[in-house]
Amino acid sequence: MNCADLNEALVDLVDGRLDGAGQRTVERHLEGCANCRALVEDLRSIRAAAFMLDRREPKAETWSKVKAAIAAEPASRGRLLDMGARRGGVNWPVWLGAAAALILATVIGLLPLMNRTPPAHDDTAQQATDAAQPTVDSVTAEFEAAEKHYQKAIDDLQTIANKDTGELDPQVAAVLQKNLTVIDQAITESRAALRSQPSSANAQSGLFEALRSKVALLQQTVELINEMRKGNQAEAGRRAQTLSQ
Amino acid sequence: MAPSNPTGDVKSADLDLVGRIRSGDGAAFETLYRQHATRLYNLASRMMGAHGEADDLLQDIFLLAYRKLGSFRGESSLGTWLYRLAMNHCLDVLRNRQTRMGQQTDSLDEPDAAPVASPVPVLGAVSRIDLERAIDSLPPACRAAFLLHDVEGFGHQEVGTMLGISEGTSKSQVHKARMRIRWYLANGAKRAES
Repeated sequence: MNCADLNEALVDLVDGRLDGAGQRTVERHLEGCANCRALVEDLRSIRAAAFMLDRREPKAETWSKVKAAIAAEPASRGRLLDMGARRGGVNWPVWLGAAAALILATVIGLLPLMNRTPPAHDDTAQQATDAAQPTVDSVTAEFEAAEKHYQKAIDDLQTIANKDTGELDPQVAAVLQKNLTVIDQAITESRAALRSQPSSANAQSGLFEALRSKVALLQQTVELINEMRKGNQAEAGRRAQTLSQ
Repeated sequence: MAPSNPTGDVKSADLDLVGRIRSGDGAAFETLYRQHATRLYNLASRMMGAHGEADDLLQDIFLLAYRKLGSFRGESSLGTWLYRLAMNHCLDVLRNRQTRMGQQTDSLDEPDAAPVASPVPVLGAVSRIDLERAIDSLPPACRAAFLLHDVEGFGHQEVGTMLGISEGTSKSQVHKARMRIRWYLANGAKRAES
């Protein structure tokens, strides 16, 4: 074996994966070649140091953000991902076409927020931003106003559910409410982070992201309900007509 | 670690977990996150180097995973599928960054680092900080193979599956990475200190 032959066997040698015969051949070469001995020793040092590198942990809030983002995702196969409980799938019934109108009205109320540009990540640039641009405070205030509108829609939905329990699947409402709770928690955490670091671009960005997640969930809810409506237009029409009265 | 060709039990457990997630079980998704988040975070963190986007990337990776779970068929373990998705995403982000900065992306046949010929080992105890810097200096493709094999401990067959390359190419990339790191530690680190 010469130095070039060793080069081909180096990976397996350093990883300890050479068979007995291969190992003996390499060792014979290493006994007579100081350069290759030094190279193997260095590569083993690198291998050992790499394996001993420290383990980094993601921030705890990353899971909250993932949950919020998933909760706002379109439901696969017409099902929402329940981020709050361990149980089986939720069967979305053909129900309450009126709910679409209710939540659609809410989303319309939130539309001004949905086209907001997130704040610049550069703090200096942010300070130089035109005063006419939306601030976190102004957007949050708008959102809170819209949130009240949204809450009314939820309340109305609940009223309908209470009156018409035969058609409203309580699991559906529960899953929706749990996912909203997850997002609300992310909003609360983002607001707390912003309070402790008012000038932090990351904290501002986090709040906008959480707010957008909630809007996105509403959008997806509307889309989902619209899909259900496509499956039973007569029922949806009747409910929409009932609502308009 | 789960093999790339899962046994019947592993495959069944993976498919069951995916099925529960797709049925709307949020707790099953949290199980997936808890099982893999730390390892994926370490991978993403070191793939991105000093640019500090690992938490955002981790979020993106799990969102992507949720969206693509329907494409999981159990041909590899769920872990292998997830790491492949994660590494593809990291490499895409790096490619986009390099394109914006007008840099060339590395190719698999990029020349090796100049060999360091020395009759005695050129490295003493390898410091963690120097090694992290050396890893950061690697081209993305060979950094990916090195991180998966030498840092995370996956076998070359799994690394190949995750990166969409052959087992032999995985070995070649890991070897190239080690040689570059040796060169960096013997030369680059010293230059940085002076």
